[in-house]
Amino acid sequence: MSTDSPVDSTSLSTSHSSRVASGRRLTFKILRHNPRDPDSHPHMATFELDETPGMTLFIALNAIRDEYAPSLQFDFVCRAGICGSCGMLIDGRPGLACRTLTQTLGEEITLAPLPAFKLIGDLSVDTGQWMRGMSERLETWVHGQQEIDPDRLEERMEPSLAEEIYELDRCIECGCCVAACGTALMREDFVGAVGLNKIARFRLDPRDDRTDADYYELIGDDDGVFGCMTLLGCQDVCPKDLTLQTQIAFLRRRMIATG
Amino acid sequence: MKLVYTDVLVIGGGLAGMRTAIGVKQRGQDVIVLSLVPAKRSHSAAAQGGMQASLGSNAMGRGDNEDVHFGDTVRGSDWGADQQVVRMFTHVAPKAIRELAGWGVPWNRVQKGDRESVINAERVVITESEAAHGLITARDFGGTKKWRTCYTSDGTGHAMLFTLGDQTVANGIPVMERMEALALIHDAGRCYGAIVRDLITGELTAFVSRATVIATGGYGRIYKVSTNGIICEGTGVALALETGRAALGNMEAVQFHPTAIVPAGILTTEGCRGDGGILRDVDGYRFMPDYEPEKKELASRDVVSRRMTEHIRKGKGVKSPYGDHLWLDITVLGRAHVEKNLREVTDICRYFLGIDPAVDWIPVRPTQHYSMGGIRTDHTGQSQTLKGLFACGESACWDMHGFNRLGGNSVAETVVAGMIVAEFIADFCASSASDIDISTSLVRDFLGREQGKLDALMKTSGTESVVAIRKRMEEIMIDKVGIFRTGDELAEAVDELEQLLEKSRHIGVASQEPGANPELVAAYRLPKMLKVALCVALGARERKESRGAHFREDYPQRNDRDWLKRTLATWPDEADSLPHLDYEAIDVMGMEMPPGFRGYGVRNHIDHPDTPERAAEVERVQAEHADADRVELQRALMPFEELLPPRYRGPNQRLEDDTHEH
Amino acid sequence: MKSITKAKSRMPARLDLLQSLSGLVLALFMWFHMFFVASILLGADAFDRVAGWMEGSLIFEQTYPVIVSMAAMGVFALFVLHALLALRKFPSSYRQYRTFHDHMKRMGHEDTTLWFVQVFTGFAMFFLGSVHLYIMMTRPDTIGAYGSANRVVSEWMWPLYLLLLLAVELHGSIGLYRLAVKWGFLTGSNPVESRRKLKRAKWGVTVFFLALGLASLAAFIKIGLTQQDHFGQPVLSWASSVPAEHPMLPVPPLGELS
Repeated sequence: MSTDSPVDSTSLSTSHSSRVASGRRLTFKILRHNPRDPDSHPHMATFELDETPGMTLFIALNAIRDEYAPSLQFDFVCRAGICGSCGMLIDGRPGLACRTLTQTLGEEITLAPLPAFKLIGDLSVDTGQWMRGMSERLETWVHGQQEIDPDRLEERMEPSLAEEIYELDRCIECGCCVAACGTALMREDFVGAVGLNKIARFRLDPRDDRTDADYYELIGDDDGVFGCMTLLGCQDVCPKDLTLQTQIAFLRRRMIATG
Repeated sequence: MKLVYTDVLVIGGGLAGMRTAIGVKQRGQDVIVLSLVPAKRSHSAAAQGGMQASLGSNAMGRGDNEDVHFGDTVRGSDWGADQQVVRMFTHVAPKAIRELAGWGVPWNRVQKGDRESVINAERVVITESEAAHGLITARDFGGTKKWRTCYTSDGTGHAMLFTLGDQTVANGIPVMERMEALALIHDAGRCYGAIVRDLITGELTAFVSRATVIATGGYGRIYKVSTNGIICEGTGVALALETGRAALGNMEAVQFHPTAIVPAGILTTEGCRGDGGILRDVDGYRFMPDYEPEKKELASRDVVSRRMTEHIRKGKGVKSPYGDHLWLDITVLGRAHVEKNLREVTDICRYFLGIDPAVDWIPVRPTQHYSMGGIRTDHTGQSQTLKGLFACGESACWDMHGFNRLGGNSVAETVVAGMIVAEFIADFCASSASDIDISTSLVRDFLGREQGKLDALMKTSGTESVVAIRKRMEEIMIDKVGIFRTGDELAEAVDELEQLLEKSRHIGVASQEPGANPELVAAYRLPKMLKVALCVALGARERKESRGAHFREDYPQRNDRDWLKRTLATWPDEADSLPHLDYEAIDVMGMEMPPGFRGYGVRNHIDHPDTPERAAEVERVQAEHADADRVELQRALMPFEELLPPRYRGPNQRLEDDTHEH
Repeated sequence: MKSITKAKSRMPARLDLLQSLSGLVLALFMWFHMFFVASILLGADAFDRVAGWMEGSLIFEQTYPVIVSMAAMGVFALFVLHALLALRKFPSSYRQYRTFHDHMKRMGHEDTTLWFVQVFTGFAMFFLGSVHLYIMMTRPDTIGAYGSANRVVSEWMWPLYLLLLLAVELHGSIGLYRLAVKWGFLTGSNPVESRRKLKRAKWGVTVFFLALGLASLAAFIKIGLTQQDHFGQPVLSWASSVPAEHPMLPVPPLGELS
């Protein structure tokens, strides 16, 4: 949840290697709307801030809330690019606000909530409910038959396979891929790259007993892998650089082979 | 009145909360998890380096077992820990990791054959055995005798949290996101649930439960510079404090992590040093061996943090507009290692510093990192003074960390405590002790009281600024209740925090918008945070010794004679301006490992009067059991197995057991 | 989930594959087609020879325009099939159209925009392509160099062919690029880098075929303009009524046009 956190912000800045006195005056245009308030209508609110060296959008948004707009809603948790809370449209493109340095943007910065998700208010959207729904629908957990005996040595796994699984496990469910996907925006039942990547992850995992036929039941239609039109917005905005393009292509081939 | 009933209410959706929820659900209890944020965004996700468990499969971990893990943890705690709880913990940690492996965590595995590694800034070749191939491997972490920290690259917390998050879905456990508990419902020393605010609609709901679990993590955000996520504000432990019954233990025990980046305060994992990274000063000189010839960069965190601060005070820090810092050098590990095993670090350096850690040194300094203190519980996780209230994970003082936590032991604690406490909660819920016999009017009273507080904040035109008070609190904490502490500064801190608490009673909220209202959220959290800060500062002011992470320049010795005890803070009356402090003695005569020298840091302590006697007794028992196996010896020294839930009492299998007994 | 529920239809898988396959065949067909048409750049004789091959001159002793007719019918069938399959992916309401369009504008993302180009060109080809294919099916005997040239100029088909050329070349090359990334072909060990290369290749192919197509069209226009003086009448009526009276034209114009 967004909290008022000026922590770090007063002193926070960038590294020794890129400490440039910027002297820029930044204009933030923020799409504001509180759906709980009958008097609220979506509008762009404008705020101005002096850029400080190494300013991130996390710092800037907190400064705006502290100084000008105490009711401004946005979400941060880890503010380190790890938790995936702060996905938003930054100049029209989905990205993580916490790790976006203002020096990489122009003097006028436009911020808007991620589309495709339910708006909570201003820049805050409900990705959590969406992801839970996806998880329930795709059954994103290991389906093993074997009872685990935690007293015994664990099942062995090839080290390279464990690393491959982790590669796909790195998804932080930030929702950027969904918001960047024209298909997901047009068709709200589409599972999105996040969902397909999950399937690829569990498919790779030998602890999961499900077969391709089982996965076909989950993603073998136009709301699943065949709905993907390969626009590759997902691949291009993923903050974790997941190999979404490759995974979806692979699943498509597997599902065709099954179908 | 909106009222929800459940058997178990878990407040907090991180690793500890979710593991507890899964445990009670599997025992047939209904459970609801409340989380401030989508549960998978909890700060557990930020635990990068790994989880300690004495599997002993990898070459550098061979010979490891519960005993070694126990010794490391107790020494790390500076003998502040509850040794029986440490035993419970070290015994269940291997089970936790194996259970998680079964649920899908992609732990890194042992690769047979030779591999290059960096130890003590030198390249060495480690040979892994054929027999260990494919088992879970481990890396080196500070304060440990063996390589015991199991990991998934440097996204261990993330992988664990997502696996548990998926398991809650698999188990059909409702996780209610964006829900904030404002107060516990309690009466006559018994907890009955919580009043909860919906952070989307702003509505209050009463959750009535047989057992209530607080698993809300630490309170790092009372400090200006912290590695903690911004939700780690200590409001969870404040829930317990505000009952006036439940006690907070050892709140002054606050850990500073040696290597957070400057100035953002984002953590770079201990794995950096564990894997062979070194610390350098302004001259590029590796200074840690001068202070800690044996463990060097891998002494426990409190020691390394203090040594770094000491070195900076000698003028050896690197000047920057954000204060002095030192360098963390992981270039010695080589690009391949850095980019594969320390990828989060690489990302953080790239995005927040604009540097490439495979060629550039990383600017770091000690930064608030972990809260050893928390809601004081017994070994079952239940508050001794408020029945029906349980706590686990960082928000609890269960007390396995004492005054300093070892890297890799916190992630381990979350799931281990979750497993153990869940069993005790399920037992409690199955017993008549958990029956609820309160009237709805009690619930209505609590609900009305909380609504009244919110209404008052919205209606009064207070003059004090939330932002200003909060910033001042954060500054006081970092400046006066930080790594090096003195009586004078602590007294100043307590006084000023007390004034801030008084001021916080006169804050008003301008924004009248319906919904969550972030300004209102900040306003009602502030007094809770100040109370927690006061517990830390007052506890530190009163503790006139140095132990673990609590270092008093005016009392640099560890003083077992007068201070081998736990601080207990309570807040009996809402109108009080300071917590009430009590102390709980730690029984030396029951210790498996009597207090001694930690093996790193300064050898400088005053013994407890019982220590020689207990030490002699331990030696005698050891001599008597010279031929016995280690399990028998341990039993003779300090039995603990009967404290564990029956299902977790079994011995842990290890690779080397195949050649010996099992 | 295991086998308790009724198995999901395999139709979506088949339709998806069929859409890609039909697109692939059409795109490759268009490459060959363009090379054949471009033979006009080597002169009318060359073009007519190629046209003759199309009518079976390599196999039979004489030419059979009906072969062209049937081939056109086959292409048309594939074309309709591909269009129907692709329709599944079109925005199905104005709301969806707006959503996509706004998203595309906002994000400024190349592959997303290219998809819209495909939708647009695909939609255009419903009409442009149908007209051309209809002529190929019904008048296979008028597709020689001079017949074609007359159609282009005298019958005012050049604007249609110009648009069709643009639509085909954009649609086809984008489609081939998308097929490769969609199915993970030609993506090698470094898919990100391969995609960059494929994208470059895609633009290269577009430019190459557009240039070839424009040059060919120009050649037809040039021939068409010279013929306009001679006949000054629609080539269809001329072609059907009086071919033999005009010795400067070779007997039945053969081949096909872009």
